[in-house]
Amino acid sequence: MSERRRHPRSIRYLAAASITALAATACSSTASTAGKVSSGPITIGMSLPMTGPVADVSKSGLQGYQLWSSQLNAAGGLLGHQLKLNVLDDGFDPNQTATDYTRLISQDKVNLLLGTFSSLLNAPASAIAARQGMLYVEPSGGAATLFTRGFTNLFFAQPGTTTSEPDRFVAWIASLPAGQRPATAAYVTQDDPSASPAVAVFKTRLQALGIKTVYDQTYDPSTTNFDAIASSVAHARPQLIIQGAVADDGAAFVRSLEKLNFSPRMLFQTNAPTDSAYPGAIGRANAEGVFTAEAWSPQATYPGNAAFVAAYTKKFGSPPTEDAANSYTAGQVLAAAVRAVGRIDQKALAAWLHTHTVSTIVGPLKWNSAGDPEGSLLLAQWQSGKLQIVAPKSAATTSHIVTVKPAWAS
Amino acid sequence: MTELAQTLIFGVLIGSVYALMATGLTLTFGVMKIVNMAQGAFLVLSAYLCYGLWSRFGIDPLLGGFIVTVPMAILGVALYRLVIERVQRIDPGLTIVATFALALVVEACITLIWGPDPTASTPAYFNQAFRLGSVVVPRAQFYACLLAVGVTVALQAIVRRSWLGHAITAASENPEGARLVGVQPARVGAWIFAIATASSAFGGAALSFLYQFTPDSQDVWIGLTLSVVILGGLGSIPGAFAAGLLLGVAEAVTSTYISVRWSAAVPTLLILVVLLIRPQGLFTRAARPDAAT
Repeated sequence: MSERRRHPRSIRYLAAASITALAATACSSTASTAGKVSSGPITIGMSLPMTGPVADVSKSGLQGYQLWSSQLNAAGGLLGHQLKLNVLDDGFDPNQTATDYTRLISQDKVNLLLGTFSSLLNAPASAIAARQGMLYVEPSGGAATLFTRGFTNLFFAQPGTTTSEPDRFVAWIASLPAGQRPATAAYVTQDDPSASPAVAVFKTRLQALGIKTVYDQTYDPSTTNFDAIASSVAHARPQLIIQGAVADDGAAFVRSLEKLNFSPRMLFQTNAPTDSAYPGAIGRANAEGVFTAEAWSPQATYPGNAAFVAAYTKKFGSPPTEDAANSYTAGQVLAAAVRAVGRIDQKALAAWLHTHTVSTIVGPLKWNSAGDPEGSLLLAQWQSGKLQIVAPKSAATTSHIVTVKPAWAS
Repeated sequence: MTELAQTLIFGVLIGSVYALMATGLTLTFGVMKIVNMAQGAFLVLSAYLCYGLWSRFGIDPLLGGFIVTVPMAILGVALYRLVIERVQRIDPGLTIVATFALALVVEACITLIWGPDPTASTPAYFNQAFRLGSVVVPRAQFYACLLAVGVTVALQAIVRRSWLGHAITAASENPEGARLVGVQPARVGAWIFAIATASSAFGGAALSFLYQFTPDSQDVWIGLTLSVVILGGLGSIPGAFAAGLLLGVAEAVTSTYISVRWSAAVPTLLILVVLLIRPQGLFTRAARPDAAT
């Protein structure tokens, strides 16, 4: 379950949830005694949206955690203790998430925490963890606003937040000869805490390269009909289109462009093109040349990635999703810190993560003081029916990049 | 000028789709005063059935819509007999709760059968367009518009000109009087639900090739269809069609000339304005207070 799966009215709920979480934690005056390991297993608490609107897709996130803990237990556990996951269900409700993490810390007295999915849920959960002095490694929740709250115990287990999405694409544009660079660009984004900031960064950086903005609009998350938007974009005739797409709005916008027979030279969309349903929805040939960014690829050659894909597929009968990889990565980060520190000391674990790089299946991860990873997402492009990684070179699955997107096929 | 013409064409085409989606709700709301909150779920179910016929047997969704009317009509009768009729005996107001619950059940069943991922039919015309000079007319929207006109005319003919239509009107306005002339309100109610639910098959067919849809897409469509019904005036089939067009054009014009962000607020703003100025809806006459039965 990547960001696109979550309901995009998040910005209002995010604020409400944060306030609720802070209120809930303020009411909890009990100092946390969690974190001390007894002679039993190390308990790791988490609350996941196992029911509700994203239940089906969050299942793979849980499976990523389960695979990580079972592999670790098979290898002897952590610090000589077996791991036990304490999983609660929040039903994709931020208030319930806040309640669950409070319970995990104060009542269930888990030794360690792992994060949930979406910025919507991680906002209150990480606030509670911060209040109780617990380390909080999150597999998802890349909205930039999560890392401006002054928390020192929060770590995002992906290569970059959403605002790092432009990094590799803009670098690639900058590397092109002047004649091959697009001269004009249109920016269309859903009003979403992940997509909008990313597109704003795209605009700033591309303008700095001299690419003129000819259209810039933000649409409501409830927008279903993109014909009028596409018509206005086509009227502006941009050579490059950047869309902050969250879910099926990505395919819907492309379908509208196809009807108008307006095909830009370059098209970058956040999130949507990583969905397996995307090529089918726009016509398989029409995905050719479309760029996107992703946190993880099953083909990436980072240490342990191929083994993870094989083990997950064997255990659960289907290939892992990005959410499964992200939760597995969060587990890797947590385990690396515990092993290095040699004890469960929440402050020491956070301090270690702030000063070290962790090798994971999504590449080496290193964080700034806010827990914001200092890397960038992978740049991917649809080529011949496959989503190929085109940058960075260390993770690339092809050296070829489609510079000019072919016209739409009817 | 071209941009304005293009905007108006897009508005009319999408507006007719809104009207098509709202026909079933117009019928049950207008004639029986029942807000069928499951209408959005029925639209999505129809879209999945049309998708299934297209993906498995290659049947075009436009033709699939006609085929899907049969199971949807049966579902409508079952809904009336098993749920609506019984709940109405307890409290007519409970029908909203009952149909809302049914919508959740239908959504869950769709998820179990087809899964949660976005789905869309892509027949050959889904991304093609006619060109009228520099103006583009998307083929998929155009076909959906024709479907909307056809369904509206057919439903209006049934309600206004057939014996069944007269029976429906009689049973809804004066059930006791209708009984005296041999009309059985329960049977008429079942017919209304059969027709209303069957008509959602055409909306579902259009949904299947115009948009990607998921089991929870009903949330979007129930809101839009309710807007159309309220704007048009409760129960007015031509009114609902005109309201759909108004909504579509207002959205397109707002999106093009004011702000994309504001276009999503158009249905709510229009309803607010209409409720203030003409609470009975744009296309119906206010009933005399002493005419209430």
